[in-house]
Amino acid sequence: MATTASISITSDITESVPFSVNAEMTMYQAGTTLDLEETTGLAQRTFSGNTTQVTLIDVSATPVTAAAGGHKVYIRNTGTDKTKGFKVFLADATDDTEEIGTLYGQDWMLMPWLASDANEDIMVQPSSTEKMTIEYAVFHQ
Amino acid sequence: MATTTATLTLSSDMLSSPISISASSILMKAGVTEGLELIEMGRGTIAEADGSKTAEFGLPTALGADKAAKLFLVNKATDPTYYIDIDLHDTNVGRLYAGDWMFIPWGMNDTASELVIEAEPAGATCPYEFVLLQEPQTLVAHS
Repeated sequence: MATTASISITSDITESVPFSVNAEMTMYQAGTTLDLEETTGLAQRTFSGNTTQVTLIDVSATPVTAAAGGHKVYIRNTGTDKTKGFKVFLADATDDTEEIGTLYGQDWMLMPWLASDANEDIMVQPSSTEKMTIEYAVFHQ
Repeated sequence: MATTTATLTLSSDMLSSPISISASSILMKAGVTEGLELIEMGRGTIAEADGSKTAEFGLPTALGADKAAKLFLVNKATDPTYYIDIDLHDTNVGRLYAGDWMFIPWGMNDTASELVIEAEPAGATCPYEFVLLQEPQTLVAHS
């Protein structure tokens, strides 16, 4: 039951120095070479009419093994408009939030997720009241 | 315009209907269709004995609020028990185990946006590589 992810980054920012990065990983359970075995599957949410911050992935509603450490989260802004984005946040221990960054149209992210307690929910905030859609998945232990 | 493209290919056969994700994005400055213009990349090593350290890549005060940046970080350790614990300021993001990578947008709004890394468990040493792609920084005044 392998889950693999590969990334390729290419850029011509430096015209005289070709730049590319390629990396692959197999998602394992924490500290082992055993494959992750659970996923939420690929999900989608659409927002319209407000720009409030909402919980996208709720630790308490996701059957992760607490603090196991092998979890991964994928999120993508499926829109094509580069002027509109979703700010992505992690809730913190004081129920405040830490901003990770903004996913503009077509931008995606893949990151580890500790999900050790209910204070590490993943939140998003659309920049526009117009219809915006995000897709996401959690691969976990 | 500089063109920087980040492409993800993800596949999983956990489900009876396999998951296959292909995503690609041209990385732009915040809210516009102008490409990012700055690359910073490198390699380092952090050991468990070093304790918790603010990552040397990208000073969080350099970019200012609501600018665009993307960070790629990979743990090059080979021992599967070795991991890099990653905090965003004082909130734990997660763990990059040996061979794991992450790619995230990074707000870098202020000093509270700092990324903090720590090698674990006891005795671990984790080489890592990073690429930071971002908007141009304001040049520092002549001293």
